[in-house]
Amino acid sequence: MPRSANLTIPRRPLRVIGGAVIALAIAALIITLFWSILRAAATQQPSTSHVDLGYLIYITTLQAVLSTALSLVVGMALAWALNRLRFPGRDLIIGLFASAIVTPGLVVAFGLLSVWGRSGWFGFLDIPVFGLGGVVAAHLIFDGAFAARILLARLDGIPDGRLKTGQSLALDPWTRFAVIDWPALRSTLPGLAAIIFLLAFTSFPIVLLLGGGPAVQTIEVAIYSAVRLDFDLSAAVQLALVQIAICAVIIVLSSALAPLSTSLDRSGEPRWRDAAMARWLQWLVLALALLGFATPLLAVLADGIAGLGDVLVQRAFWASLATSLWIGIASALLALLLALVIASARAASSSRLSRIVLGAPAYAYLAVPAVALSLGAFLLVRALGLLPETAAPFVVVVANALLSLPFAMATLAPPFEAIARSRGRLIRALGLGGVRQFREIEWPLIARDVGLVLALSFCFSLGDLGVIALFGTQDFATLPLLLVRSLGAYRTHDAATIAALMLVLTIAAFVALPKLFERLGRADA
Amino acid sequence: MVRSTLLALAVALGMGLTSPPAPAFAADALTIYTYDAFAADYGPGPGLKFGFEKICDCTLQFVATDSSIGALRRVQLEGASTKADIVLGLDTSLSGEARATGLFAPHGLTFDTLSLPSAWTDPDFTPVDFGYFAFVYDKTKTPNPPTSFDALIKAPANFKVVIEDPRSDTPGLGLLLWIKAAYGDKAPEIWAGLKPHILTMARSWSDGYGLFLKGDADMALSYTTSPTYHAIAEKNPNYGFADFSEGFYPQIETAGILKSSPNQALAQKFLGWLATPDAQAVIPETNWMYPVSGTVPDGFPPAPAKVLILDEAAITANKSAWIDEALAALR
Repeated sequence: MPRSANLTIPRRPLRVIGGAVIALAIAALIITLFWSILRAAATQQPSTSHVDLGYLIYITTLQAVLSTALSLVVGMALAWALNRLRFPGRDLIIGLFASAIVTPGLVVAFGLLSVWGRSGWFGFLDIPVFGLGGVVAAHLIFDGAFAARILLARLDGIPDGRLKTGQSLALDPWTRFAVIDWPALRSTLPGLAAIIFLLAFTSFPIVLLLGGGPAVQTIEVAIYSAVRLDFDLSAAVQLALVQIAICAVIIVLSSALAPLSTSLDRSGEPRWRDAAMARWLQWLVLALALLGFATPLLAVLADGIAGLGDVLVQRAFWASLATSLWIGIASALLALLLALVIASARAASSSRLSRIVLGAPAYAYLAVPAVALSLGAFLLVRALGLLPETAAPFVVVVANALLSLPFAMATLAPPFEAIARSRGRLIRALGLGGVRQFREIEWPLIARDVGLVLALSFCFSLGDLGVIALFGTQDFATLPLLLVRSLGAYRTHDAATIAALMLVLTIAAFVALPKLFERLGRADA
Repeated sequence: MVRSTLLALAVALGMGLTSPPAPAFAADALTIYTYDAFAADYGPGPGLKFGFEKICDCTLQFVATDSSIGALRRVQLEGASTKADIVLGLDTSLSGEARATGLFAPHGLTFDTLSLPSAWTDPDFTPVDFGYFAFVYDKTKTPNPPTSFDALIKAPANFKVVIEDPRSDTPGLGLLLWIKAAYGDKAPEIWAGLKPHILTMARSWSDGYGLFLKGDADMALSYTTSPTYHAIAEKNPNYGFADFSEGFYPQIETAGILKSSPNQALAQKFLGWLATPDAQAVIPETNWMYPVSGTVPDGFPPAPAKVLILDEAAITANKSAWIDEALAALR
């Protein structure tokens, strides 16, 4: 970090302390969960189970590296195309792309099969969808589209002034990308790459459904098996620690890379069109992306129509919908609060070490295996003397908020950094306090991102339920749980409809919330 | 069945003499941990609750975990402080492991009039329902399904099946035991032969069967009674199960009473009643398995001619090794 930067950052000790408290609390929670499992493991007989750890690490890493690299390339290409092109329905398509990452893995996998599978729309092409290729392709749908959504926000934020200068210099499309776009994207890439790597590395339902057998696996699968089948808790903890250790390297690397300055202005309508060749390429990228990303999601919607009548008359559906909505809203607000505190603390701290300490726990949660979280939470709740059934809603809200925290951080941290760097002098000169800094400078600039964070976290908790597997809660059902129960009772049409309705909710949240908050931010400015 | 009920009562009275005084039946509550499809609105749970509460002067509460293994793990974690009186939904391939936990008490009941694949002598677990693992296919797409594992291995390379992971799913484990029971030491060769036909190994039965219904595979590992569901509930007669000449491996779902339960007598009464035709009438068209007593509804296939059995001690001792062996052959 250049020394001169320190002088421009306003001192905000309260923010740093607040962020530190939350970061330490998350770290303490993770440690407590593991401690709960280890305590239970201590009472067990040593077991005979064993895994081929070397192969597991190799195949998991290979798959995660492929997924990450491809997702970033595809995400950049798509963000580039979407940034330049304007057409009716653009917002809807952006919402659709963004929603992919929060759609339950099973739903995306089934959507992929509806399109590319043997009986799918393009089944006649006979493209193999099972095996390593299928797993990476499914991850690409999630993560490539998500990367595009995040990177697009950076490109859309390039100030008009820079664009005008570039245009007056008559930069060719490649130079324009290299000189104007790349610097705007660069700061976001490490955090984004870390998230995608962690998601792919810990992927579970997709790997098992599309992996095609034991040749393609993840460590997460082995942990699940150690807990559920062998009930070998110490082996599970050992595997979990291996997973966390590998993920930690990634997390620390990405946390240590200081995000570079990001601009915060929003660009209007693009008046600078690239040359004809580049525009053709942009349309081509968009068309391919639609074919690859949007069709599986459209297939999910199409598959769901048939069962609509059956599902809408079920009381269980409406009860689950209500539960899902309040869980989603509660965990979205919690995730936003945590992300705001940590992101502003990170932006206010100037040492590399404190940035790692503040940022790492937020990401660490992604590295902890879901089955270990579930088990640890269950043991912890019991150790606290609570009834699992009573604690379930709170556990789900906290778990989902923490699950979406890395995404919230990836969205909010860069603009906070940018404000500290670009508006720091102004804030110091005006002598603004922390509250006014937030209200008058930061809020108007991040309002849209806040909407995006709320949408992300809301949809994440709509899609996830892994943590309460053991809690025993038939009265506490959310939409994904209802979906799984329907599938488990041969009711595949009901399941398809629930999946489609969840997707509709997700897309709606993604289109509406960022717009709403952008408007709120403007009204306050 | 009257006899077993009487016996249950006799045992209950006997228990009353030797153990601390148990609370009376009245207003007692019985808590049963089970898998979620069993407790669901369209599962057998509500019907059984209704039926038993009419005769027991008690309340029955099902607590649903995500799977039967999940229910067992939960009581293992909770130990003596568990609220559960009964764990329901384990199967015979998990009996040895469940017994070894030392958490279950003998049920003290006899079941000698049941229609089961083999006589029931288990002192700790009682039968709930049963089925046979089988590969299910779509008759309109596969007019000539394979008739044995050998025929499946020799089928064209593009003939694909979905199986479930033996580490995470009871049908997946069932297939492993089925092949072991049929082929013994030659099982790895069968797995290696099946490898090109295995489209994928799903985490759960529902994922795998969903893939098959979507048309991505020609067959899926399920039960002989799965086509019955489609025929009765969906009025779709187009599904069948492949009749394998090696014979079929059964899955018998079981229930067991926890030692820590203060409601031993009531729990025994419930498990005795659960095996009666009265209770069993609820099972077939909610859980799509065979009842252990009473009449089998029309449309359920007759029992297979040849039923394979493995010794419980052998399963418990070798399960991990057999899983490793199969996974090695597939990789």
